[in-house]
Amino acid sequence: MPSDLSSLVHWILFLPLGAAALSALFLRRAGALAAWFSTAVAFVIAGLALRLLLSVGGNVTSATGDVTWHVELAKFGGVSLGFGYLIDANARLMLFVVSFVAAWIHLFSVGYMKDDPARGRFFAGLSIFMFSILGIVVADNLLMTFVYWELVGFSSYMLIAHYFDKDFAAAASKKAFITNRVGDLGFILGIAMCLSLYGTVDFAALKDHAAAAKTIPVAVGALLMCGFLGKSAQFPLHVWLTDAMAGPTPVSALIHAATMVAAGVYFMARVSFLLAPEVLHFIAISGAGMAALAGLCALAQTDIKKSLAYSTLAHLGIMGCALGLGHPELALMHMAMHAFFKATLFLGAGSVIHGCHHEQDMLKMGGLLKKMPLTAATFVAATLSNCAVPFLAGWYSKDAIIEAAYHGDHVAIFAFLALAALATCLYSGRMIRLVFLGEANSEEASHAHESPWTMTLPLVVLGLVYSVAGGFLAHAIIPAGSLKPVEHALGEVSFHLAAPSTIVGLLSLVVGFFGALKFYGSVRGADALQVVSPRTYHLLEHRWMDGLYRWYVDAVQRRVAEFIAFLDLLIINGVAVRWIGGGVPAVLGYLSGRSFHRGQTRAYAFWIVLGSLFLAWFLIAR
Amino acid sequence: MENTSLAHHLILAGLLFVLGLTGVLLRRNLLVVYMCLELMLAAATLALVAFSRFNRTMDGAVLVFFVITVAAAEVAVGLALIVALFRKRGTVQSDALTSLRD
Amino acid sequence: MPDGLFIFFAALTLGAALLLVLSRNAVTSAMGMILALVGVAADFFLLDAYFLGVLQVLVYAGAVMVLFLFIIMLLDTEDPTGAYPWKTAALGLATFFLLAAGVLWLFHWSGAVAAVKAGATPPELSTNPAEFTTAAKSFGRLLYTKYLLPLEIAGFLLLVALVGVVSLSKDNPESNA
Repeated sequence: MPSDLSSLVHWILFLPLGAAALSALFLRRAGALAAWFSTAVAFVIAGLALRLLLSVGGNVTSATGDVTWHVELAKFGGVSLGFGYLIDANARLMLFVVSFVAAWIHLFSVGYMKDDPARGRFFAGLSIFMFSILGIVVADNLLMTFVYWELVGFSSYMLIAHYFDKDFAAAASKKAFITNRVGDLGFILGIAMCLSLYGTVDFAALKDHAAAAKTIPVAVGALLMCGFLGKSAQFPLHVWLTDAMAGPTPVSALIHAATMVAAGVYFMARVSFLLAPEVLHFIAISGAGMAALAGLCALAQTDIKKSLAYSTLAHLGIMGCALGLGHPELALMHMAMHAFFKATLFLGAGSVIHGCHHEQDMLKMGGLLKKMPLTAATFVAATLSNCAVPFLAGWYSKDAIIEAAYHGDHVAIFAFLALAALATCLYSGRMIRLVFLGEANSEEASHAHESPWTMTLPLVVLGLVYSVAGGFLAHAIIPAGSLKPVEHALGEVSFHLAAPSTIVGLLSLVVGFFGALKFYGSVRGADALQVVSPRTYHLLEHRWMDGLYRWYVDAVQRRVAEFIAFLDLLIINGVAVRWIGGGVPAVLGYLSGRSFHRGQTRAYAFWIVLGSLFLAWFLIAR
Repeated sequence: MENTSLAHHLILAGLLFVLGLTGVLLRRNLLVVYMCLELMLAAATLALVAFSRFNRTMDGAVLVFFVITVAAAEVAVGLALIVALFRKRGTVQSDALTSLRD
Repeated sequence: MPDGLFIFFAALTLGAALLLVLSRNAVTSAMGMILALVGVAADFFLLDAYFLGVLQVLVYAGAVMVLFLFIIMLLDTEDPTGAYPWKTAALGLATFFLLAAGVLWLFHWSGAVAAVKAGATPPELSTNPAEFTTAAKSFGRLLYTKYLLPLEIAGFLLLVALVGVVSLSKDNPESNA
């Protein structure tokens, strides 16, 4: 029943849009109502997405089980632009992950944003984000994907700037937006290139073309990759993600950890047939490199959210690496697992921040295990999953990727990933040690309290159920058909006890995690690494890319801009505009200013009549 | 109606129009200016009816119907504006209304 | 020579319009306006557009001009004192004759109208509702078929005007300051 399923997709896609419109138009003042309304809608969508996910078992509609639906919006020459859905196995999985995580984050936000005066705007923003991200998931052509892509960018911008009266939030939102523009420029050029080469933007048609052609031009993949680099915060466009933490914590959890940044990975998996080997190679190298580097940088952050942001960067690097190694299914699986445990980590951080009266500095926390037991338990569980402790969610995907890297051609990629695994365990241990163990290091932390149920329930559900049992559940609740690619990939790189990935994982776990616990317990109220080796700490903390960009903008771009501005001033402004625009009216105005501009109605009427007479003469004489 | 051609009606309409125009240009009293504007509209409708009659189509006549409707609406709003102006400035002489220049 | 009735009503219309333009008294102007509109309505009758003629008298010469008179009385604008501004009037007449010459040239001397419609009399009336008829029914037919949308828009315009007038004539203390 294809029509039935596509109408299901209609609901999934347009419910959040309706919710956003309703909240933004009518519920700006009624914050509580907007909050519960958006949350209810999010849960309904999650239910619908689950239904869609389960629908594969019985009702396989086409040979591949894909749901397709398409209407043509416009036709320019031979190019047809349309609006439609293409729901394959990946899309089902992604739909479910996004909507499920989002639903619980909505619930968390109800508690977290309780005292915020602009709740209506916040929840409207969440709903419009839901609409956009789900749109990316279901879109069946590049152009609609781009439209949703931009909408996602917009909602991210809007939500980062939720506290727009704070300078850093406003600046961070601008940074995120502009950095994404750089990537999107490449994206839209890539779409244009697809149009000119293949004459279509439909994924299905493009796939046929790509299968027919022997080689795909490198440029197509490289340009499309630019969009991925921006949205998924890959090197060198990763600079915006850590600043984006200026938004409210649920936003960081939903957009900047679980879903939006993963959209880039999803998109790359969707167009993987358009990526030339060179492009894949670049993604693999840069992803692995970034994974290692970002993991280490997370060690030099005292802000709990920024530290988590670097962790997200590291995991995005791992996903990118899996993509580049030619395992988009593994990347998607890691995306799903990461969405669950990273959302839990961020929500846990939000709960901690909320409990500590908006203190974000980890050095000022400590000993929260006793004061916030539920939060602590879920946070620790998610952290362990993050470190890929065997049989926790992260282990299934991350170790599979490391395994794939080992079987790949490049030792460097494997080495980077191993380093990333070690770094992950290091910063995870550090975070647990600083936040939850030891003694309270500040007034706020000593008065911490557990959060209300709206915040702990999502933590428990997302954290305990999914981080711990995610792997089992992946097998249990997701029917065979929809997860086939993942299972296939798992079988291909079947990991066993003696596999290098397991050795690397366990080794780094023991050395990193417990080492970090011990190391960071040695100094109180300060960062141990900073005390022991300030130079290393500074090396990691310093934001090299920001400095590079600043140098580029200052020294290169501004020079060019100044030169162009000078030309503009001289030629356009000076000669073309000033001479003509200034000289002619000056002369005419001097001659006629007195007669034109007398302030009398009759005078104006006279000129109107004269003008129309002239016009009439012109038309008749013509 | 033996010997009135289209040109006769058009000339009458044209003269009326020009007369109204002269009034708009010369009169100071905004109310009279407004009446002259209406006169111009009436002249235009006259031309429309004449064309309609001589071309044996109904369209021009229907257009006149709409012109009358629009003119009625316009008069209502325009007069309300003039009254509002009078309440604010105490005059309806266009000479006194030169704040665009000042 | 054209029809006697036409000459009479044309003269009446032009004379009344002249009165409207030249009179210093607003009430006299309004009277001239009414007469001129009646003259136009009479010309409508001569053109066999009876329905429009009646409409013209009812709406224009009736309702609209009553409104004008009301406002003139209400505002009670002082009549200008002093000598009649002969200079302005002369200037106006000069403008008028200049433009009138243009009109005559356009419609008569240039021969453009005659070249298109040479007949001295209007064509025979038809009973075909799609063509020009004297029946009010043919208006209705067109208004509710070909011109349905403009009719709706005109109705909406009247509503907008109504609301506009109400909001304009509300005595707003802030704007009076």
